[in-house]
Amino acid sequence: MPFELGRPLGIPNDPVLQRRILLAALDLLVAAEGPVLVDFPDEATQHAGEARREAVVWACPVNFASSAADETDLDKLVSAFKREVAELRPWYDRGFQQRGRTAVGDFDPRSASELFIDFARGHTPKLVENQSLSVALRLAAHDLKCSYFEAVIAKPGSSAPDSITFNRWFWQETAAGKILKVIREKCLAETDKSLRMIGTLLLIPMSEKND
Amino acid sequence: MRSHIANLSCPTFSTQPWTVGSDLQARRVAIISTAGLHRRGDRPFDGMTGDYRIIPGNIAAGDLVMTHLSTNFDRTGFQQDWNLVFPLDRLKELAAEGIIGSVAEFHYSFMGATDPGEMASPPPKSVSFGNIPK
Repeated sequence: MPFELGRPLGIPNDPVLQRRILLAALDLLVAAEGPVLVDFPDEATQHAGEARREAVVWACPVNFASSAADETDLDKLVSAFKREVAELRPWYDRGFQQRGRTAVGDFDPRSASELFIDFARGHTPKLVENQSLSVALRLAAHDLKCSYFEAVIAKPGSSAPDSITFNRWFWQETAAGKILKVIREKCLAETDKSLRMIGTLLLIPMSEKND
Repeated sequence: MRSHIANLSCPTFSTQPWTVGSDLQARRVAIISTAGLHRRGDRPFDGMTGDYRIIPGNIAAGDLVMTHLSTNFDRTGFQQDWNLVFPLDRLKELAAEGIIGSVAEFHYSFMGATDPGEMASPPPKSVSFGNIPK
């Protein structure tokens, strides 16, 4: 498949393409012998090109009260992070109401932000029963990122950015991205092996690591 | 990716692994996903250990979540349209048109990049039934 990892059926809300892909996959089931490895006939650039054209014009439709892009002081970063979460919350709620679903699983935006702020400040976060801190940090990071995406696509007139554009914005222009990098550094400095592993592999993408 | 897959060693089996079945119109089709999907409230994925989750065929889009471990795995497509990774609506359309026989009552989800040998672990070691609605 010529599609991004995480998008095996091609393009969201494109049932015609999804059906073609599904039928191509089902056709493999009736092969006379196997194993089979067949390329989907579309070129990768055919769909990637459309996404890139949209990416050029996308800008976050939510204007934050202050920028955290260059913030280095932890207290100021935490304040910016709290404001950011609060400013996005109405849009996240609106998106949830409009679509009737959210991909956020265990940590709503507020509980995720509280977990990260507690950990960043060296406090012991409150966890649900039978959940380790390392698992909680990983799940909360994904949930927080999911909530940001759902918030920024909920504003009227906004379009969904492609994943590359969204990741660039989230990791380089938001306080959330910046505080997750702080969390990662703290995890790497921990003696707990599972926290170090989370920091090494499972909090921020490879493209955002400087080591 | 293609060359990577093509160069993976293919396991050997003592029994016949490839079976030519019925025409698609007579088949019941289940989704087997490696996108780290599971029902909301079910156990999140926490490693590449071959465990899997059962997803009932009557699940609503809002009850399906993704806890794929990789930070490089895109979730924004799934957020916009669950059919992008779990094409249940597309399968139901094909069944309604008679292109496939039917859609299975249950579907299965693994964590991606898991060693296929780990995926072969039989239940109950690896299975999570969770609270499947009756």
